[in-house]
Amino acid sequence: MTALTDRASAPVAASEAPRAARRRSADPMQPRTLVLLAFLLPALAFLVLFRLTPIVIAIGGSLFTQNLAGETSFGGLTNFAQLFGDERFWNSLKVTLIFNIIINPLQIAIAFCYALLVMAPGKGVTFFRAAFFLPMTLSTGLTAVLWNIMLDSNLGPVNAILEGIGIGRQPFFLSEHQALGTMIAIATWKGCGYWMIFLLAGLYRIPGELYEAARIDGASRRHQLVHITLPQMRRPLAFVFVADTAINFLFFAPVYIITKGGPNGATDLLMFRAYENAFTFINWGRSLALSTIILVIIGVIAAIELRLFRDKEGAEA
Amino acid sequence: MSVDRRSTMLALGTARYVTMSLIALVLLLPLIWLVVSSLRPPADIFAHGSRLGWSMLIPDRLTLENYTSLIGTGFPRAVGNSLFVALTTMVVGVVVNAAAGFAFAVFDFRFKNVIFAFVLAAAMMPFEAIVIPLYILVQSLGLIDTYAALILPDLANGFVIFMFRQFFAGLPRELYEAARVDGASWGHIWLKIALPISWPVVLTGGIMLFMHQFEAFFWPLVATPSPEHTVVQVAIARNISLEGTEWGRLFSSTTLAGLVALVPFLLFQKFYIRNFVTSGLK
Repeated sequence: MTALTDRASAPVAASEAPRAARRRSADPMQPRTLVLLAFLLPALAFLVLFRLTPIVIAIGGSLFTQNLAGETSFGGLTNFAQLFGDERFWNSLKVTLIFNIIINPLQIAIAFCYALLVMAPGKGVTFFRAAFFLPMTLSTGLTAVLWNIMLDSNLGPVNAILEGIGIGRQPFFLSEHQALGTMIAIATWKGCGYWMIFLLAGLYRIPGELYEAARIDGASRRHQLVHITLPQMRRPLAFVFVADTAINFLFFAPVYIITKGGPNGATDLLMFRAYENAFTFINWGRSLALSTIILVIIGVIAAIELRLFRDKEGAEA
Repeated sequence: MSVDRRSTMLALGTARYVTMSLIALVLLLPLIWLVVSSLRPPADIFAHGSRLGWSMLIPDRLTLENYTSLIGTGFPRAVGNSLFVALTTMVVGVVVNAAAGFAFAVFDFRFKNVIFAFVLAAAMMPFEAIVIPLYILVQSLGLIDTYAALILPDLANGFVIFMFRQFFAGLPRELYEAARVDGASWGHIWLKIALPISWPVVLTGGIMLFMHQFEAFFWPLVATPSPEHTVVQVAIARNISLEGTEWGRLFSSTTLAGLVALVPFLLFQKFYIRNFVTSGLK
């Protein structure tokens, strides 16, 4: 978090002297309180009401336990203790981490390739941009429905194709070894076009003069990519990584619709555990405890990601 | 030398188009299959599923039955509901989030870092995880089964605030200072100077807010149970039930929803090309 706020002042730091002067002369740059509130308050009020309040309810609820009769009582950290002693929880944690370690870099790398490919204008590029984005227009739930029927062992065209070209039919979601990989594949199929947009926005903000100067110096395309494009893309990449991680930790609908966490726990992501505890076992306390754990993990990973991107920025400055 | 260079460019250009075509093929084939299936009579949909052949993609019999049968259902109304909710969220949300992002980027105030950390934390809170407490809250506000229940919780978006803040913080401060010295109000600076320059963020943020609403399923499912307020994804999912799945209608309604969601993207990428061309001329 501090990594982010530090960066706010980074562009200003160069002009430290005028800034100090501005402070002293107090100051056309400081808004009146009323103006400040007019800018901040609408967004903050909505966030406090519709995000913070439910979070407080959730964390508070994670401290309450239920007995078999459904009566709730204050249990302190009982829910967490039970989770940490449960093998299924550790399996879910493992599956969730593997899923995220693979899918986040994979999606961003592919999305970056998409963006680089469709960046320059050219014949038919509009078509490809639309094509790359198109899977995104399907909701996550419908993506799951579509791919579940596409990959069906009897009705699905994918297995017909695989058999037709000699690879042979694959079990996909029915196999303990293929289910998680198939999940990653369909989520990647759907998601990359979305992140492509953010990366395209970043690519278009790189000043064209940088490339012109490099071309005059005779720099190769690879050189331009490594020394101009990548450093200039730090901010969009940091943003996309954090946003993608948060979304993939919530990856839920396909698991719910297709595999229900199976086979044999192979796709038992934490978010599905949280859902199952709430709606199948009606154990709100444990579900909210799981939500709290997911929140903490996302926070830690986001902090690490932002730090990685900031360090590079520091090295350059 | 220049001929050599030109042939390298040609090779690169060809490689680019081959790569793009291969990716497009993988991305589009399932969607083409979906659209083609939506045009088949329900009985034919899975008739060719098990053997490789052109009949997988070329229907023997074409029909609009799956589309015309949607007219009598709640689907048209659901599309209207989704569009209303998504567009309102997009317009109001961009204004609200851009204002907050501007304040975080330009103003100094007490507890700024703490408040900004809260914004980010709120952005990362799993939305699905707070659906139940959110339901309790929205119910106590008396908003269950209203458009407000769908729109209000989604207006402020931590990620969009973050995007705007990153953009505004990257602009040179002299821009604001010069305007202040000239006596411009902050509202004027924000509306007439900062927002117009930030159009890429306005568009990406707007698309983000629009898509989030148009895609929403879990929250609308619990928050607006009545048919008048059913949104498009819920309406589509109603084709899947314990009695069996209406595959034909499922495919046709999914196709239509996908087409609608594509519109803002097509508008948006046109803006990009225009900007790209004009900045190249400068």
